[in-house]
Amino acid sequence: MIGNNGAGKSTLLNTIAGTLSADAGTLALAGHDVTKKPIAYRSKWLSRVFQDPKMGTAGELSVAQNLTLAQQHTGSMSLHRYRKASQVAAYQALLRPLNMGLEDRLTTQVKYLSGGQRQALSLLMATLSHPDLLLLDEHTAALDPQTSQKVMDLTQTIVEENQLTTMMITHKMSDALTYGNRLVMVQDGQIKLDVRGEEKQNLRQEDLLTLFAE
Amino acid sequence: MLITSIGQGLLWAPLAIGVFITFRILDIPDLTTEGSFPLGAAVTVSAMLSGQSAVTASLLGFLAGCIAGWVTGVLDTKLHMPSLLAGILTMTGLYSVNMHIMGKSNVPLLTQKVLTNYLPQGWSIDLQTIVVGAIVTGVVVAVLIWLFKTRLGLSLMATGNNPAMSAANGIYTDRMVIIGYMVSNGCIALSGALIAQSNGYADIGMGIGTIVIGLASVLVGEIFLRGRQIWLRLSAMVLGAIIYRFLLTVAMGLGFPVDDLKILSAGILVIVICLPILQNKYRTRQQLNHYLKQIGADEHEASNRSLNRQTSPEGLLSRDSK
Repeated sequence: MIGNNGAGKSTLLNTIAGTLSADAGTLALAGHDVTKKPIAYRSKWLSRVFQDPKMGTAGELSVAQNLTLAQQHTGSMSLHRYRKASQVAAYQALLRPLNMGLEDRLTTQVKYLSGGQRQALSLLMATLSHPDLLLLDEHTAALDPQTSQKVMDLTQTIVEENQLTTMMITHKMSDALTYGNRLVMVQDGQIKLDVRGEEKQNLRQEDLLTLFAE
Repeated sequence: MLITSIGQGLLWAPLAIGVFITFRILDIPDLTTEGSFPLGAAVTVSAMLSGQSAVTASLLGFLAGCIAGWVTGVLDTKLHMPSLLAGILTMTGLYSVNMHIMGKSNVPLLTQKVLTNYLPQGWSIDLQTIVVGAIVTGVVVAVLIWLFKTRLGLSLMATGNNPAMSAANGIYTDRMVIIGYMVSNGCIALSGALIAQSNGYADIGMGIGTIVIGLASVLVGEIFLRGRQIWLRLSAMVLGAIIYRFLLTVAMGLGFPVDDLKILSAGILVIVICLPILQNKYRTRQQLNHYLKQIGADEHEASNRSLNRQTSPEGLLSRDSK
């Protein structure tokens, strides 16, 4: 999803996630009406990666603790011990494909990781529960060009491997054109352009720029 | 003097632990303390006067504190009040509640058996206090260590650290905050119950300044014992409570009148807040000098000075590094 500042992209995303409540209409996730449900309830079906790498992870907690929180979106009140030796190997196997050396830093507090590492971890955490909908809120905007590319590649891999329905907001038109199979352009709170499949493949950056200027 | 401080410190330790839970784990400054501490004392003394055993009465005091915490928690999360205001409202309301429970502003215990009376009477008062304090504080610490190793405990820590991320991961943060308030104020009321039994009376004014005592104990403890493990952090609170008592005893030994203790408490708090900041500043400068010496450059002296000025040490009360 693309659009100018103030077009309503983030408002839509926040309404879906539950941070903002809808003034009218209904919101259904995987057949469940969640219009008036809190964020935590919606997390059974959706996950979100924030723009700010600090938002998606708990800095004071370790990498392993963050993964534990993300692994199951239910049972947060459980009185069972959360740390099990058997999980270490599983967590390492999850972290290894990120190629960031995180598998050796399971007990490191997340606040000591770099922005790129934190965002990669956020992404992994968001997809760990196999959500029916993954929301990406300009999740590479705060990263340097190289790391940003790395996280985008990682996103592509994870989304394709797990066949996740994903909604991504971006300001980078090249990313909007390269990734995904549907492109929505929002302006003044309305959908201005909605192309998918082959039609999207043939879309060019110039076409989008013309639309933006209108 | 040291022995007395250890005993008294152990009785005050649940207060420090309670303040630690809201202040450090949930990242909330909770003023309910000033009301829940005398609430614990009032409920316990009243229950004992009406024939309950000291153990039952102390547990009732703990539960009363939990209820007070629940009220603040609901005001904070469900009515969306700023947490400082929520605490002030509960604290103010509790004054009347405590007066109703006690009937008058000071209620002495008569011949009732307090917790220390269950121990052999041959032991000295100090030893009895230490044993009772150690048992109660030990149980509180053990239960909390267990709690923070469960998924619920992890959810509590996550909520205090990053509420947005916690909610996005399926944690009902409002519930977590309320649970935190309840456990915290339960501990604080338990401390009030112990102090009332140790003093032999409950007084309406005994809560004044407890938040300062609690915060000072937390900060003193963290100066002496640092670490990430929960058992270490909780032990630091117990140590902090004991050292804080010792500091007050020393001050009283120097001839300060009892009325001056509150300003002394406030003074100690100011010092323990400033001390780690200065400590950090000193360490940063040491490291920088060490580093510059290593690269062996005197000409960096000038840049060294300007760098020093820019280095702002991490504040103790703020968590700038989320």
